[in-house]
Formats: sequence, structure tokens, C-alpha cells
Amino acid sequence: MKQITIIGEDRSGMMAEISSALAEGGINIETLDAETIQEWTVMILTVDRYDDAIRVLQQNPDLRIITDDAILLRLEDRPGALAKIAKRFKDANINMRSVRIIRRDGQDALVAISTERSSAALELVKDSLVS
Amino acid sequence: MKQLPKEDSKKLDKLMNHLQEAAETFLGYPCNRTFDYSALYPFLGLPINNVGDPFMPSVFGLNTHALEREVLDIFKSYTHAPSDSFWGYITNGGTEGNMYGIFLARELHPDGMVYYSEDTHYSVNKIMRVLHARNIMIKSQSNGEMDYDDLYETVRIHRDVPPIIFANIGTTMKGAVDNLDKIRGIMKRLAIPRYYIHADAALSGMILPFVDHPQPCDFRAGIDSISISGHKMIGSPIPCGVVLAKKGNVERIARSVEYIGTFDTTLTGSRNAVTPLFLWYAFKSTGREGFRNIIAECIENADYAIDKMSHFGIDAWRNYNSITVVFPRPGAALVSKWQLAVQQKIAHIITMPHVTRKQIDRFVAELAADLIDTDHADHKKSNRQ
Repeated sequence: MKQITIIGEDRSGMMAEISSALAEGGINIETLDAETIQEWTVMILTVDRYDDAIRVLQQNPDLRIITDDAILLRLEDRPGALAKIAKRFKDANINMRSVRIIRRDGQDALVAISTERSSAALELVKDSLVS
Repeated sequence: MKQLPKEDSKKLDKLMNHLQEAAETFLGYPCNRTFDYSALYPFLGLPINNVGDPFMPSVFGLNTHALEREVLDIFKSYTHAPSDSFWGYITNGGTEGNMYGIFLARELHPDGMVYYSEDTHYSVNKIMRVLHARNIMIKSQSNGEMDYDDLYETVRIHRDVPPIIFANIGTTMKGAVDNLDKIRGIMKRLAIPRYYIHADAALSGMILPFVDHPQPCDFRAGIDSISISGHKMIGSPIPCGVVLAKKGNVERIARSVEYIGTFDTTLTGSRNAVTPLFLWYAFKSTGREGFRNIIAECIENADYAIDKMSHFGIDAWRNYNSITVVFPRPGAALVSKWQLAVQQKIAHIITMPHVTRKQIDRFVAELAADLIDTDHADHKKSNRQ
């Protein structure tokens, strides 16, 4: 099942806001996993109506929504960390369409890589995989 | 003139009132509202259209290509484009110019990889998607400038494919200018012979030509193309911009599109014929010295705003040669009232030509009250992300 990853500043009430927004849209959360990374909360959801859920969540400007088309990684926030990951893809001959920094704070960086979510790609980054 | 039904007339009046009111508290976005193009209104009565390449003859006679070329010539001098080998056209805004630059780069280097910093305008992602251009985001420094160590490391790993650098000449949130000398230095250190640099100079492309000590920002600094907005510093009721590129590059891709029967490489079909007139009128009526004075005043007002905020203990700052003043993000009501641009913990105002010191005084007083009254007080010293 396709998943949605939500990244927001870690604060109380965020989960309640998301749940009620989805409930108002008549969308059921099927699985939910949450993790705090430094100042951020990362939530990984599966829902019964994927496209509708994305539409609802995107109305909140404080949230970054990552669809299933990207792999989310947690890397060290230092020059070249991303380049090393890119090299793994290159060496494995797996095409990366884009690499974007979602959040970083001096210690960690959350990075979204748009690529095919294949088992080979996930295996390449299993040491830093968030979702 | 055809009369509208009463309720539709009222709708227009209501919209006009709303817009006029909103224009009074308009500090966060880089659009200049001090313009008067009433002398050009008669042109709005004609179905003019600048379809095609402004340097090529057109069978559609209702165009303003001649004045468009004059405008391009003025931008050529501001950006130090090679005088006999540049090409360009008036776009619908900065994004179209950026798309043209990356289109040109990708046609020249189909296997290229685009690099851009995390402070780059969000529209770059749309461009990459439309053009199917492979891309990697590079870290930024805290002032918004590209992190050159990260660029070096990332390009080093992909040195077998031509780098296409999307450089910011004035980032959207912080007005930072990527250092073109350092970028070219990295290409030299890595012995990369083929690369392309596009400059997104949306706002600062009309600031840096008028300051005493500009950062490297134009064709003299080795760029291959540049996009500058027209409705920002110059001011226009219709969004517009300009893209300039090296003619040799444009001709190379024009030859490759010969099979579709045209050498026209502009991105759209019909093109606005009125906005070139606005830009032409602005340049002719204000002149180079006029723009120099306007920019100097904008920079003085940016410093005035920083001083005022500092007086209240607010950590406000700007980049060198920028009129974007960065400070801690206030509450939502203030953001909405003054139409501030915000990003995570920061907000900014841009001291465009229409921004007065009286407005700055009012805004800073409200900002100070907001930051003290709310739990944003702890942001006072934490906006340098």
C-alpha cells in the first residue's frame, strides 16, 4: 500500500490536527508511525483514499508532504553527505530523478530522493532510510 | 463602451477597493507599485501580439518587436552581454526565463545534472519536472548563499556528466547572491570542461547594475543565460521579465528544431506585446541615473528598517547589496496584514520603491509588539537559520 510521509516542526497537537483534518475529509488512517528527529516530527501514514489525503494535508502550509514517489533519508548535515548517497545510486546504475533537502538543522538532514521505490533502491539506503 | 449589469459593476468596484486597501500594507513581496503607464493605454485597444522570435521577421504585423529589441538592448548593457552575440526575449516573468535557461542547458547537455541550492525559488522544481532534467539540491549557508563545499563534493562524484548550475543572483527569502567566481573555480579545480551556468536574477538583476560594488552577477562572470523579472523592480501591472542568452547556444538548439519548420525557440506561441512597451517606457522615462537613485533609496530604506528593528531588540539583517530585510517570523495576523513572505522561523520585508519610512515605522512598531506579546519572543535572536 502506498504511504504518505508528513514532516512538521515537533509540537504538541500536530497529530491531532492531522487526524481531525483527515477525518473531516472522510479519510481513514489505516496505519500510522511517528518519529521525532531533532526538531521535527516525521509521520508515515497509509490511508484508504491516498489522493484525497494528499489534497487535504497540502492545505496546511506548515507541513511538508512526501508522496510514495520519493524515498526519505536521514543523513548527517555536512558537505558531501548527500553526494555519497548519490554515488551509491550511480554505482548501482539506479536513476535518480531529483534529490531535495527537506529539512536540516546542523546535525541531521532529511532528504527526499525521487527514484523508483524498488527493493534494490531501498537496500542501497537501508542505513539511513526514514520512509 | 458596453455597460455591465449593475451587480457586476458592483463586483468590480468591490474588487478595486479590496486591491487598493491591500496595496497599502504590501511589504513582503518584491513588486514595485510605483508606475504610471497611462500614456500607453491606447495600445490596450489593439490586438497586438509578439508571437515568435523578436529578432526574426514576422508576418503578423501587429507586434511591438522593434521596441522589444530596444528593451533587450538595454538589458544587454546592464548584464554586459556580448554585444554582437546575445539573444533574448521578453517573458511572462522570472520562471519562464529560468525555464528557458534550463531548457537551453539541457538541449546543449542532454546528459547534464542540474545543481541548485536549497534557497532557490520553489518553481525550480516545476521546471525540472517539466523538462525532465535530473537534479540535485545543494545545501545553503545560513545567509542563503550556496554551500560551495557541498557543491564541490557533489559535482566531484558526478564529474562525468556536465554540471548545469542554477545560480541565484538574489535568493527569494534572503536576497543572497551565489558567488559565480567560486562556482567557476570549482569547475576549474575539478577540470570540468563542459558546464553551463544559468543566473536567476529575478529581483537583483535590476539592483546590482546600479550599485557601486556589485557581486559578480552577469555575462562578465561567465554565465550562459540570465532571467530578470520586469514587474519586480521596474514595476508593471502585468507580470513580465526578460531572458538573455549567448546567441551561439541558442542557434545551436534552433538548428536542432529545424525539423518542426521554425527557428523560433521562444517557449510560448503568442507572447505579450504590451509588457515590452511598459518596460521600454520605464527605461526611457526613468533612465539609468533614475534607477541608480531609486536603488540607492531602497538600500537606505532597508538599513533604516534594520536600525528601527534593532532599536526594539529584533535581530534583523540583510545581505550585501540586498533590499530584503530578514527578521524572526511574527504571528499569523501580522503576516497576513502586511503580506509577509515567511519560511520556517524567518520572515522578510523588501524595501521596494513604493515602501515609505512611515510604513516601515508602523510595521516595526506592530512587529515589536507582536514579538513581545506572543511566544515568538524567543525567536528574536534565532532567525539566522
